Amino acid sequence: MSPGDRAEGVARLRRAVATIEGRREAAPTRAADRLPLTRALDRALGGGLAADGLHEIAPASALDGPAAMGFALALAARFMAVRRRVAIVMAEDFALAEMGALYGPGLAAFGLDLSRLVFVRAPDASALFQAMEDALKSGAPAAVIGEAWRLKSYDLAASRRLLLAARAGGAPALLTAASAYGAADGFSSAAETRFEIAAAPSAHPPSAGGGRGLPGAPAFAVRLVKARIGAGGAGQGADPTRIFRLAWRAEELSFDEPTLSLPVAAAVDDRPRATRA
Amino acid sequence: MTDRARRAHEIDPRAPLAVVATVKNARRLAGVDANAARLGLAPGLMLADAEARQPSLVVCDVEPEAEARLLERVADACARFTPLTALDGRDGLMLDVSGVAHLFGGEEGLVAEVEARLSRQRLTVAPGLADSPRAAWALARFSLRRIAPAGLAGKDFARLYHDLPAAALGLDAETCADMARAGLRRIGDLALRPRAPIAARFGAETIARLDALAGDERGAISPRFPAPDLSVERRFASPIATSEAAFVALAKLADDLALLLERRGKGVRRLELMLFRIDGGARRISVGAGRPLAEAKAMARLFGERLAGGAEEEIDAGFGIDLMRLSCLIAEQVAPAQGEWERLEESAGARSLADLVDRLSARLGTRRVTRLELVAAHLPEQAVAATPAALGETRAAGQGNRHCEEQSDEAIQQRSQRFWIASPIGRAEARAFAVEERPAEGRAMARNDEACDAPTRPLRLFERPEPIETLAEVPDGPPLRFRWRRVLHEVAAIEGPERIAAPWWRRPGAPTRDYFRAEDALGRRFWLYREGLYGRETTQAKWFVHGVFG
Repeated sequence: MSPGDRAEGVARLRRAVATIEGRREAAPTRAADRLPLTRALDRALGGGLAADGLHEIAPASALDGPAAMGFALALAARFMAVRRRVAIVMAEDFALAEMGALYGPGLAAFGLDLSRLVFVRAPDASALFQAMEDALKSGAPAAVIGEAWRLKSYDLAASRRLLLAARAGGAPALLTAASAYGAADGFSSAAETRFEIAAAPSAHPPSAGGGRGLPGAPAFAVRLVKARIGAGGAGQGADPTRIFRLAWRAEELSFDEPTLSLPVAAAVDDRPRATRA
Repeated sequence: MTDRARRAHEIDPRAPLAVVATVKNARRLAGVDANAARLGLAPGLMLADAEARQPSLVVCDVEPEAEARLLERVADACARFTPLTALDGRDGLMLDVSGVAHLFGGEEGLVAEVEARLSRQRLTVAPGLADSPRAAWALARFSLRRIAPAGLAGKDFARLYHDLPAAALGLDAETCADMARAGLRRIGDLALRPRAPIAARFGAETIARLDALAGDERGAISPRFPAPDLSVERRFASPIATSEAAFVALAKLADDLALLLERRGKGVRRLELMLFRIDGGARRISVGAGRPLAEAKAMARLFGERLAGGAEEEIDAGFGIDLMRLSCLIAEQVAPAQGEWERLEESAGARSLADLVDRLSARLGTRRVTRLELVAAHLPEQAVAATPAALGETRAAGQGNRHCEEQSDEAIQQRSQRFWIASPIGRAEARAFAVEERPAEGRAMARNDEACDAPTRPLRLFERPEPIETLAEVPDGPPLRFRWRRVLHEVAAIEGPERIAAPWWRRPGAPTRDYFRAEDALGRRFWLYREGLYGRETTQAKWFVHGVFG
């Protein structure tokens, strides 16, 4: 038996033990530590969202703040489904006062497990970043969401600190820049990914009484503004002109690329081929 | 009283001093210092008479609050002698010194130490030490003897106490006056008479007091702070003057405490650090932990976070700290450190999370680090409760009970029943099992809404619903468009109403709310409601945005 055979055998046995114990995803290797979102987004991101990076989420307009936070929470829910740990949701006091406090039943209906969420209110942005850094470094959470309002202190150094903390703890930092609507292109930070989120019309199931339809599953129009592809990454990178449409399926804890059911101005490449031109 | 006035007003220590209070519209002396007493002045004298007798008398007003504060500070400072300190009326302190006297070289040493420490702060002390609180009180106030030997009985007891005035029993002034009228002026007069007539004449309380004085009845004091389970302390021959040095000493104290805890197999849930300054100041800092802590480093770090958080001021060493005490206020059994192999990773995760929660709670405050729990209540704003995450385990049990009450109370409507979760959260083992079944809850909730898997409750709820202007086809119909925060929204899809009545069985008359989930043309989703049933409760329906969906 050559040494190579033996090593392979041991690896196979290890995998078998891991499968028996049902903790296959518990200790993923670093390179494979990417969370798949949807097919189109994964192609751009190089296999999914890095599970140990800093990801920024900015709303497209002043009224898209809830959608941005919804997207961040959806990402956290996906991370929580993969890594069976808690997520920590942090927010600046001012953001909560301005946008409304996070509401337990709504979070539960959104697919988040309330018993695995810890909420932190920070008095100001610097306390928020510090708390995020501590939380990321501890390695305890599956994801850390931070909703920041005053972004004056969020610069290259601050974002770099968050990124390094995320790397050290192996957990993703999801920073929602609630007040920076429409400013996603002008940011300069060390983040790996930056999304600009707008609410998108959902598929409206017809109402029984006729007339207007019912609101459907939450839908987002996602613009990938920045995507840093690591060494050996096969992603296409960011294309700020392209808009991805996603719907959040709270039941399956997954994103969906819906077929558009409404005559809205869709991104050109999302249309079925037959209708083009 | 006079000591405080002298300290506050910088009065010459040789001048006779009295404090006055207004009693029944008359200005009377409430307290006199030693100089004034030597000149024949006594509390109760009219101010005019006193000034006529002694024109050089310095007079200050009584300030009960300031005196109470001073007394509390002194009580805290006296915690260096014993953990059981209690306030005794407005002008006394009671220390339970059972079993601590030997630390100060016997009872004489202890009394001398107390006196020396307090007189250094320019406080006059009249100490008394005896077997029972009542006896010590009598000695302190009415006798020149300071220490009654232990186990005093019979003749020795009589010699010491029977000559004291009847007021030394601590009865109210009226009873004392009654006794004086009957010719009973000393304790001996009462103690040597048959008990039944005394009880009949002056009340059973008199007899009880006599028994308490003799120590026949075990009297207890009610301490300001409960005695800790465990405490370790360090005295410094040369006082510490910097906060860095205090932290070094704290780390050593934490080591000592960890050793004690380990021997008992316990961990600490609530810790208190007391710093005694050489100038008589004392400071208490307490921190809580989400899980029983047994590691010294974690304890020291909690105090570091608390002091760095800004909620507490820095350690002020003043003229120096000469005694530090670390007490464990609440201890709990800790599970043995070695767990099963397959749960090792999860328990490590739970531990690092608990550490993180403790640190954030210490820095930001426990109210800022929370978990949310669903409550079975109909009004959306009451359907959730935030509990401090640092409470950890203890919370689950109490919370469960509360749920049950609320449910029986409000089990009428169907809707909010779905938001019902009552399983223990936050316990490490429970978490390991709960993982398997947890995601089902979120799903079950969505599945109830058949075809449409949109959440029925908003992600964010406004603390105060925000009023909006709406336009609808019919007065009680759903809105066609509405204006919120100065922006006009065209409603493209809407679902409702979901009617939620106010809890009329508690407070009748509150308007019913009809909730709608509305989506505007650009896909933003709002949770609107109309207050009041049109035609029945109101003719002018008011509309509000209560929350937003993600």
